[in-house]
Amino acid sequence: MSDRAKNFVAIGVSLFALAFIVVAFSAGARTESTAEERIESLSSAIRCPFCNGESLADSQAGVAADYRALIAERIEAGATDEEIIDEFAANFGDSFILDTSTSAWSIALWLVPVLALLTGGAAVLVIKRGASERESVDG
Amino acid sequence: MGLVVLGIRHRTDGLKAALRIPVLIFLFSSIASFVLLEIAILTHDFSIAYVANNTSTTTPFLFLFAAGWAALEGSIVLWGLLLAIFTYLVWRQLDKTDGLGVLALAVMGAVSIFWFGLMATAANPFAVCTQSGGDFCLDSSWWPLATAAIPTDGLGPNPLLQNHFLMAVHPPMLYVGYVGFTVPFAFAIAALWRKDSGRAWLDRTHRWSLISWSFLIFGILLGGWWSYEVLGWGGYWAWDPVENAALLPWLAATAFIHSAIVQRKRGMLQAWNFILVITTFALTILGTFLTRSGVIASVHAFSQSTVGPLLLGFLALIVVGSLVLFAVRAQDVAQAPRLDSLSSREGYILANNLILTVFAFTVLFGTLYPLIVQAMSGDEVAVGRPFFDRAAVPLSLLLLLVLGVGCISPWRVATPELLWKRLRAAIAIGLLAGAFAVAVGVDSLSVVITIALAVFVISAIVIRFFEVARQRPEAIGRASAKVFGNDLGYWGGQVSHIGLAFVAIALATTSGLAVRETIAISQGESAVVDGYCIEYIEPFSRTESNRAVQGVRVAVLDSSCSTVKAELEPRINTYEGSAQPIGTPDVWTGFVDDVYIGIAGGTTETIELNVFVFPLQWLLWIGGLIVVLGGVVALGRKPRRRLRTSDDVTAEESGSTNV
Repeated sequence: MSDRAKNFVAIGVSLFALAFIVVAFSAGARTESTAEERIESLSSAIRCPFCNGESLADSQAGVAADYRALIAERIEAGATDEEIIDEFAANFGDSFILDTSTSAWSIALWLVPVLALLTGGAAVLVIKRGASERESVDG
Repeated sequence: MGLVVLGIRHRTDGLKAALRIPVLIFLFSSIASFVLLEIAILTHDFSIAYVANNTSTTTPFLFLFAAGWAALEGSIVLWGLLLAIFTYLVWRQLDKTDGLGVLALAVMGAVSIFWFGLMATAANPFAVCTQSGGDFCLDSSWWPLATAAIPTDGLGPNPLLQNHFLMAVHPPMLYVGYVGFTVPFAFAIAALWRKDSGRAWLDRTHRWSLISWSFLIFGILLGGWWSYEVLGWGGYWAWDPVENAALLPWLAATAFIHSAIVQRKRGMLQAWNFILVITTFALTILGTFLTRSGVIASVHAFSQSTVGPLLLGFLALIVVGSLVLFAVRAQDVAQAPRLDSLSSREGYILANNLILTVFAFTVLFGTLYPLIVQAMSGDEVAVGRPFFDRAAVPLSLLLLLVLGVGCISPWRVATPELLWKRLRAAIAIGLLAGAFAVAVGVDSLSVVITIALAVFVISAIVIRFFEVARQRPEAIGRASAKVFGNDLGYWGGQVSHIGLAFVAIALATTSGLAVRETIAISQGESAVVDGYCIEYIEPFSRTESNRAVQGVRVAVLDSSCSTVKAELEPRINTYEGSAQPIGTPDVWTGFVDDVYIGIAGGTTETIELNVFVFPLQWLLWIGGLIVVLGGVVALGRKPRRRLRTSDDVTAEESGSTNV
């Protein structure tokens, strides 16, 4: 197969596969998560009281099962995820909420790693600039 | 108990022979202390507090033996033993007039003084029990001749630690990894001290880094497997502080192994390599501190004691001392970078280093964040899986992308045309794999992206391998063997990369596509979960020497409940001297799925079962093993341009590193 033919095949196959993925996802897009998925995500976002730091989803202790059942009840009763999280926070304190995305402290938690990435990226670019400048001086 | 025989051996810039006696004393006293501790444990000498509090007469042999390192004091004995063995091996490899090696040995000596000091003071494994509490020890004294009060029996290990054989093997693997990084660290400090800017320290520690790296990831893998088999929630990774503590040095070490290649091949990144190796070593100490001090709530909080502040002090000493030394020497060791193009092997490795260090930093920051916030404001916050997952997934995907492009790039410059030529087939195959995943019903976008990227990486490597092999005159089989054998360092690395891609796929499918249900069924009944029919056959119970076992026999059948695939026995174990029963799940591994069943509650008439279905779970273990295997293969890289003495050769032959 000539080089051009290889290019043709590679691009063709890639576009076909990409189109398939995009179409399948836009057709089958779901907006609502099921009650089970909500229990799953909520219980992994709440730390189980008295369970060595494990989340409600991870812990095998009886209390964890009770709280998971409680979450299921609250979902059944029509509570939103935020309401359920707030109820747990009010009862046990913020340190039992593992998903900090609702707390003010989470801004700093996210900001610092992002800043680290940007600083690192900038450092690489500076190194590169320095290297090319020296080269142009040398050469 | 003459274990605290410390070498006065370092600081003597003398010959190898002069160091023989102190090194051997160090080695034999470490072996002696380990053997003595094991003898005390195996003969049930409960006059020793450690033995009384961590073993009992009914503990099975394997866990009895493993108790030698399962708790704090014992783990430090094992740590000292490994350090002594490594010191001995480094000493064996010394040349006649080897300033760098002798100085590195001195650094290792200083590190071992700390560990042995710890063993002699805060964490003395041979402390004599002075007040018996019946079947455990209430109080103890470090003074060997103190009047002993002998408990009648021991407490036995923590139930979680004697529930699975993996718990006996997983920690020593991690320790080898942890302790092993002392060697590159020692050589780096020695090189800094002597203003050696060359690659001598890298060449001489190359194998140590690779061995430690392989052991560390193997230990992490075994830990994940243990968690999966024992903890009962079906997970293998929870971003627990202690798990993070093992991951952190591994991330830094991975960055180091890659950037060391850049220095060896292109003479860049000298200063950066020093920083990375110091970071790696500091993170191993931090990991020990997090594990042993109990400052952060963790499922691993098996032991807490006064070693915390000592470890923290040691950590501070290392970080400050190393960085000061580095700052003083930076001018001497750093060379101006010669980066021709960002799109080149070294450019992509630089990107890899950036991602890995940001990854490590993010995990470290997230782990310590609750402490930071508490110190600053007194507020209590928790950082758990949601944060780590959200941060790790994009970074990991980015890493896979850079990996796929970087590992087939040439050094210096990789033009877009060349990259396209080498990658076009892999891009097509990766996207096809993504489309295939969608076609078989994967409805999570992040899983599809991961599969596409991982398959892209694997195909890029495999295709490149055969391209290179085809350029040789021999037949393809022979040519492949030649290509592989001629550059074990590179291809070993690629084996690890392929393993990593498998791991990525498994991480995505087992977290993104898992099905978890709790079912309640009576004896003889069945229920269907995600296409598997689960039937409750009968309850059973039995008594073993150290525990009472209650369980149920269940069958896993196909969705129509007609063909039996497997019979499983999820159990609940109750250990002597412990009120908390420990659930033990049972797993059936099929061609695609793992069916994971644990007892959630209920009665023997109507049992409640947690039934989890994890797609491609086995790929995680296989992929992880391939990663380790790649590390072992890469050890075969022939060291180049090194003066070797006869002593050296025998040391390498007797060591089993040449695989």
